[in-house]
Amino acid sequence: MTDTANIDVNVDQKLKEAYFTASQGQLIWTRFKKQTAAMVGLGVLALLILSGIFAPFLTPYDPTIAGRNKDYMNGAPNIPSFCDDNGCSLRPFIYSYDRTRSIQTNFRWVTETDTSLEARRYVVFFTQGDKFTFAGINFSTHLFGVDKGKIHIFGTDSTGKDIYSRTLQAINTSLAVGTIGVFIAFVLALMIGGVSGYYGGWIDSVLQMITDAVRTIPTIPLFMALAAFIPETWSAETRFLFISIILGFVGWPTLARRVRTHLLTERNQEYVLAAQLCGARAGHIIRRHLLPSFTSYIIVDLVISFPYMVLSETALSFIGLGLKDPVNSLGVMLQQVTSADVLLNYQWYFIPVFFFITLVLAFVFVGDGLRDAADPYADTKK
Amino acid sequence: MSEPLITTDDLSVHFPVRGKTLFGPAPVVRAVEGVSVHIERGSFFGLVGESGSGKTTFGRALLRAAPITRGSATYSDGDVTYDLPSLKDDDLREYRKRAQLIFQDPYAALSPRMTVRDIIAEPLEVMGLTKSRDETDTRVREIAKKCRINLEHLRRFPHAFSGGQRQRISIARALVSEPRFIVADESVAALDVSIQADVLNLLKSIQQDMGLTFLFISHDLSVVAHICDHVAVMYLGRLVETAPTRELFAAPRHPYTKALLSAIPSLDPDDQGNVQKLEGEIPSPTNPPPGCKFQTRCPHAIDICRQEEPKLSHMGFEHDVACHRWEELAE
Amino acid sequence: MTKPLISVKDLTIRFKTDEGLVTAVEKVSFDIAPGEVLGLVGESGSGKSVTAKALMLLNPDNAVYDSTSSITLNIDDKEIDVLSLAPKDRLIIRGGAVSMIFQEPMASFAPAITIGSHMVEQLLIHSDMNQVEAKELSIEMLARVGIPDPAMRFDQYAFEFSGGMRQRAMIAMALSTKPKLLIADEPTTALDVTIQAQVIDLMKDLVSEYHMAILFITHDLGVIAQTVDKVAVMYLGTLVEKGAVRQVLRKPTHPYTQGLMNALPKLDELDQPLTAIKGDIPSPLDRPTGCVFNTRCPVTLGEECETRVPVYTSTEEGHQVACLLVEKEGASA
Repeated sequence: MTDTANIDVNVDQKLKEAYFTASQGQLIWTRFKKQTAAMVGLGVLALLILSGIFAPFLTPYDPTIAGRNKDYMNGAPNIPSFCDDNGCSLRPFIYSYDRTRSIQTNFRWVTETDTSLEARRYVVFFTQGDKFTFAGINFSTHLFGVDKGKIHIFGTDSTGKDIYSRTLQAINTSLAVGTIGVFIAFVLALMIGGVSGYYGGWIDSVLQMITDAVRTIPTIPLFMALAAFIPETWSAETRFLFISIILGFVGWPTLARRVRTHLLTERNQEYVLAAQLCGARAGHIIRRHLLPSFTSYIIVDLVISFPYMVLSETALSFIGLGLKDPVNSLGVMLQQVTSADVLLNYQWYFIPVFFFITLVLAFVFVGDGLRDAADPYADTKK
Repeated sequence: MSEPLITTDDLSVHFPVRGKTLFGPAPVVRAVEGVSVHIERGSFFGLVGESGSGKTTFGRALLRAAPITRGSATYSDGDVTYDLPSLKDDDLREYRKRAQLIFQDPYAALSPRMTVRDIIAEPLEVMGLTKSRDETDTRVREIAKKCRINLEHLRRFPHAFSGGQRQRISIARALVSEPRFIVADESVAALDVSIQADVLNLLKSIQQDMGLTFLFISHDLSVVAHICDHVAVMYLGRLVETAPTRELFAAPRHPYTKALLSAIPSLDPDDQGNVQKLEGEIPSPTNPPPGCKFQTRCPHAIDICRQEEPKLSHMGFEHDVACHRWEELAE
Repeated sequence: MTKPLISVKDLTIRFKTDEGLVTAVEKVSFDIAPGEVLGLVGESGSGKSVTAKALMLLNPDNAVYDSTSSITLNIDDKEIDVLSLAPKDRLIIRGGAVSMIFQEPMASFAPAITIGSHMVEQLLIHSDMNQVEAKELSIEMLARVGIPDPAMRFDQYAFEFSGGMRQRAMIAMALSTKPKLLIADEPTTALDVTIQAQVIDLMKDLVSEYHMAILFITHDLGVIAQTVDKVAVMYLGTLVEKGAVRQVLRKPTHPYTQGLMNALPKLDELDQPLTAIKGDIPSPLDRPTGCVFNTRCPVTLGEECETRVPVYTSTEEGHQVACLLVEKEGASA
């Protein structure tokens, strides 16, 4: 009886000791773990980010023009199945199809599927396919493919490009744009907001006026002007970098404001005064006291501003002011959705929209969860 | 009789108020006005007052954490002498090694993201007082033991500790650089009574052990009576009375001191308290009354009190009062 | 023998937290007679505020009241069981027969509403006066609590009042509905000592004028000595000693009460050293078993105090102590 009591006490003691010696990061993580929505968001986010990074491997074909399927333009999704009238098989398969332009349907494509057993095309895993470069090394193995012909699980677009491959690549691009934009915004915000918040006084007033001025710049006209300004000769990649940088330059005021507020509060804390009374210089105080005190908040701010970057880029690309083909992002893919033809006949074009919504929501949930968890020292009673 | 550690003469700290007037001199808050005291080496000097008395500002001015507008303040510990208002750069840093502050709020005074060991070690590292990590660790452990902090708790973060324990960490941090002069600003005000006694005893034992000089700022007269050798009373930035503790409590001379003492509720239910209960409110520091600052509430105010500010007059051994009528009221 | 104005029996309050069910108050019982002043003394974590809020059902939603607890209010020959009041009937305990004043008067007044509007709103809710009558009564109350130029102050905002005046305004507001019981939660802690003396005098005058009972919560034993008739000492949610103020302060019997008295710096005993109570107040998550004070008690009986919860022993008429040592001494006497 006393033994189990002792064990309980020991376990209790260990838990308490762990709590007492937990660093800020560990405390935040513990609190974060308790929130289901946030954890689910984190999982989904991790999944999406990994799919974006490993997109070339996970998708069967090259998402650019080079990998298009001339025989299957605007094709409906091929969903693999395991069983049909001809019996079941362990390997998933799709049907063969034959496409002809038919007079009856006004020269639109008509697809005839052949559901016979011999015409099955089996899905194979780890096949050879189009070449791609990853981290400087050339690969050609893809996660899955089909033994004959091509498989398009999300269908194809008007030029025959596989939508699934394009979606994963688009996630990659959107995340890349977001990262560059957030990074630039963050560096600028840290510098300007930091100086503003730490020194206060007239420096603060002047910098705040500049910040507010930049914040009031209307983005749509700005981008229209920029879009007109971008020379045609620039490659898609250069254009991509340019858009990301501009997004960063436009997005820093909000972050700068937050950094400044955090600093203004923190530098009046008594422990900062205690450090100053020891003779600590500004650098030491910023490094050891101020920065750690708001690192958690800044991370939250960063995570929350990410979806805004992605949204901005998507919106701009959608109206044609942002990225253009062949650089592929979710906004670019959505550009093609804007005709009645697509709405009525090729609904699979909308599949990327769900990915987009999921990505933004995942960021938002994780950001919210982080924000709730980031104050382990405050008492919040629900 | 050795030279006092701290001597101030007509020390004043004024803060500008955001000007409401376009013309004329900018209004100021005279947080501390014309305070002249001397603090003996090795003594426990108490400074009492209510809100707006300027006691906190005075303590901070002595540490150069508040700007000194006028007057002089000198620090002299036998090895060095510093003229406090003009201290700069290296001298200021040297002074900071010898004079430290213990804060009131144990929850705000410790950096929440540093371990206790790092918090206590910080002054050593910033001031460059130790040469190696081992040396720092040894000194940290020494001072932690003196402050009765469990050595196993050094790896913990502040959120693991109660108010009393945090205050002990605060004290350890102030003591680790082996200063000579400590300003304890309401250091026990935020603590429960049972913990308060513990911390006070600790301060007293450390003072005797390390030969420190304390400036103990408090609004609680009973605490000051128990622990201080000498007490100074402030009202609205001015020094109204200063005397050795026993003398001040046995025979207060200034009407404010008398009122302050009689306002303390007695633990005896049948002792209804005698003397004056003060009417009215403490005047605002931005708009003080003319003449003696206490005249608006003083039951003995006469014409001269409304016109002229009384100077500190020397009454007896170490006992000074700033009141026009102290002699007549002494009966 | 008149019925007590309010009767609290075996009040036990627990809170649902992330770390489990935390006991804040355990089996607290006391009575307040009409016109009587009861002082509730304790340090942080003693549960005195939670107890006071329970009388007005102001505790947050995660508070769990034990089924054996009961709070009975006896007014106008009616018996009201406070803990089972439906939400729509709670007006009587919130500003009606029971009123409360808080420690931080700045936090209790909305900054953008004038003091006058606060007071009139309260009167309009609890009585059937009209605007004009309510304003008249409010100005009268402001004058009664000693605020000069009340008609002008009526239209001012909280930040234009000083600390002491805000507290008086809060007292005026609380009293305007003529409550039978005033709960004062640390009303003088944030005030300067000279202002504190004024506010205490005011409250004593009002008690005799309005024949009002007060539950006075504070950690300051000096204020208790000067203000209350009976006192109850709380530690970690349990009442360890209760009795008339003269009995408890002159003959403190519970080791905790004795420890508190010894730790207090007293002006008339400047030569006595300050003795602290050893150890720290345990966190409510770590509530000791048996007698809650046993971890810090200088005269603990060891295992017995760790296992048995003491019951109340009467050391003299009206003076009760919850201590096993006192129980034993009482039995042998």
